[in-house]
Amino acid sequence: MRDKHHQDSGHEGPGTSLDPRTQLPGATLAMTQRLAATLQVTGKELRETLRDRQTAFTTLVLPICMYPVLFWIMAQGFLVLQGQKERTEVHVGVVNQGLLEEDLLRAMDQGPEPGPANRLVLVDLGFQDDVPPEDLLEATSGVGEPQGPPLAGVLSFGPDGAHLHVNRSEPKGELAESRVTKRLAQHVDQLREQAAEAGGHAASALQPLYLERVDVGPESDKGALLLATLLPMLLVTMCVMGAFFPAVDLSAGERERGTAETTLLLPVPRLWVLQGKVLAVASLAMIATTFNLLALGISAEGLLATILQGSNITINLPWQALLAVAPLALLFALFVAATLTATSGMARNFKEAQAMLGPVQMVFILPAIAGIMPGIDLTPGLALVPVLNVTLAAKSMLLGKVLPLEYALVAGSLLLSAWLALKFAVRLLSREAFATTSATISWRQLFSFLRSDGDASR
Amino acid sequence: MTLDTNTNAPAIHAEALTKIFSDPERGKVAAVQDLDLACNYGEVMGLLGPNGAGKTTTLRMLSTILAPTRGRGTVAGADITNDPITVRKRIGFLSGTTGLYPRLTAQEVLQYFGRLHGMDEDTLGRRLEVVVKAFDLKDFLLGRCESLSTGQKQRVSIARAVIHDPRVLILDEPTTGLDLLAASDMIRFVESRREEGRCVLFSTHILSEAERLCDRIAIVHAGRVLAVGTQEELREDTGEKWLEDVFRAFVARADNSPEQAADQPHANIVDGEPHK
Repeated sequence: MRDKHHQDSGHEGPGTSLDPRTQLPGATLAMTQRLAATLQVTGKELRETLRDRQTAFTTLVLPICMYPVLFWIMAQGFLVLQGQKERTEVHVGVVNQGLLEEDLLRAMDQGPEPGPANRLVLVDLGFQDDVPPEDLLEATSGVGEPQGPPLAGVLSFGPDGAHLHVNRSEPKGELAESRVTKRLAQHVDQLREQAAEAGGHAASALQPLYLERVDVGPESDKGALLLATLLPMLLVTMCVMGAFFPAVDLSAGERERGTAETTLLLPVPRLWVLQGKVLAVASLAMIATTFNLLALGISAEGLLATILQGSNITINLPWQALLAVAPLALLFALFVAATLTATSGMARNFKEAQAMLGPVQMVFILPAIAGIMPGIDLTPGLALVPVLNVTLAAKSMLLGKVLPLEYALVAGSLLLSAWLALKFAVRLLSREAFATTSATISWRQLFSFLRSDGDASR
Repeated sequence: MTLDTNTNAPAIHAEALTKIFSDPERGKVAAVQDLDLACNYGEVMGLLGPNGAGKTTTLRMLSTILAPTRGRGTVAGADITNDPITVRKRIGFLSGTTGLYPRLTAQEVLQYFGRLHGMDEDTLGRRLEVVVKAFDLKDFLLGRCESLSTGQKQRVSIARAVIHDPRVLILDEPTTGLDLLAASDMIRFVESRREEGRCVLFSTHILSEAERLCDRIAIVHAGRVLAVGTQEELREDTGEKWLEDVFRAFVARADNSPEQAADQPHANIVDGEPHK
């Protein structure tokens, strides 16, 4: 049937044999015409979609503005939380405090950084030989002291050493543990130095084994690991988010605007029209993803510098690896575009389509989250699982691993998924109901339609 | 301008054309049943019938928006079932529901359709000049369709339907929703197409429009064609003077026929299992 439409003269296209005007074989010409028509539709859809303020805003403007603002807020929030933590006063009860040496008490009370930050307040609990330390955590005052805040820890000393009881499920419990441990360790160091000095030895002589931990991993590799954990999931999420509005706009939006019938009147096979639409949605998804990544790359540095204070970890976007990921990302974008376009085509308007796409988005995002879990790596088997495979492939590429077989399998799997989704989209959107009813398509109708031959070739 | 067409073959030919929809509420509903129709070049034919008679479904089948359930049809020499793309290349279709892409300008809409009709840039440019002049689009050619008035949109829609200079025009209630001036422009446009030797098939429920424009009228009711003929032939057949009475007479005749009475009260429901 498709050939027939090339057999007419004039505007109707040349025949399948050698075309008298172009001297091209019919099959080549048909392919050229198909490509030209598909690109015409894509161009029109892109122009129309980007003229929609909401889509243009969410695709282009939002990522540029969102990440710097979001990251600035996160950095400020981190600094505020960190400041709050440092200023938090922690009360630790001490059992049998009267028996403790003066030096120890002073070391515990003052700490390594005297001042309002990291303050540890010791509360004398008196002699408590018969009461278990965990019960003493309930106490709110010491011997002869006024009522105070609840204790964050209880410290007791015995012949076998010091015992600290804390409740780690409480934020102050962790703070108490950290501050007490730090101060005790410092006090022990001081005692060792004094003993060594008294005996005329070097301080190191009193510690037979000293363990020094050395991290030889380059700081850039640590940054790469961090990126390899985050970027693949972001890539999938951004792609799905980027395809969302265009997919709704080009399918359910057409029905809402009353242009579905106009589109069905286009003098080319509906498959070509659908290809053009899906290509437009995929292009917008890729544009959105690229913009998001750029904005993320530019603004993330500031956030990480704030969070990783004192660390030398450097974060550089690995452009070469990202370029290698790009072809897989494009195939994934086609898959997402076809699926979202088809699904939102079942809705009669924008609002309904948005509600329908919510669960579909999760179908894409959840496997992406699974893909960043530690221990899950790209294998030939996992390379065949759509969505998860693109996350794992991106992860391995960002870590600098080269797995040609797995990458080929990922590409094949994504290509097949995209093709199946496109077939699904074509069947769904070329059905008569798309043009002729204002009703929502039920799942029952959908499956009965998919079982039939459909209308795709018209 | 006149069109060189083969006048021996009808421009539109339909034989036993039937369309059955599956309706969740009413089961299977025949919107059009065994419709026969022939329309020639240089002729304006009107499908006259009330709302729900099956006019729109018929025109949508002939313009390949819908596939017929059974029966066959050819439009401008191409089969509507086996060669729908050629049909779409050769016809201009316009209805109240063929909206313009709101975010494109009028010029972009015309160029989009022209290019997909396979026109090269030179041909498209020349054709654009012709339709811009013919429908007086110059003042709003670069305006987005969403910003145009109803009358301006209608003119752009007509230009969109004829940008590829089609031999056959199929118009579904083309004057519905238009003001007097715009409706009058539309009527003049249909008349000009006939003078050029093209075939125009249009549906209407406005009797005055049918009386003024149609060389022949097909009276459609409950998915069937009750009668086809010139206005004189239809008047002679019923003995009525006014077209409205002619229409009523044919409908009454059909409703009282034994075949139709047997199917009442839901004459167009087939194999109907109402949705529970």
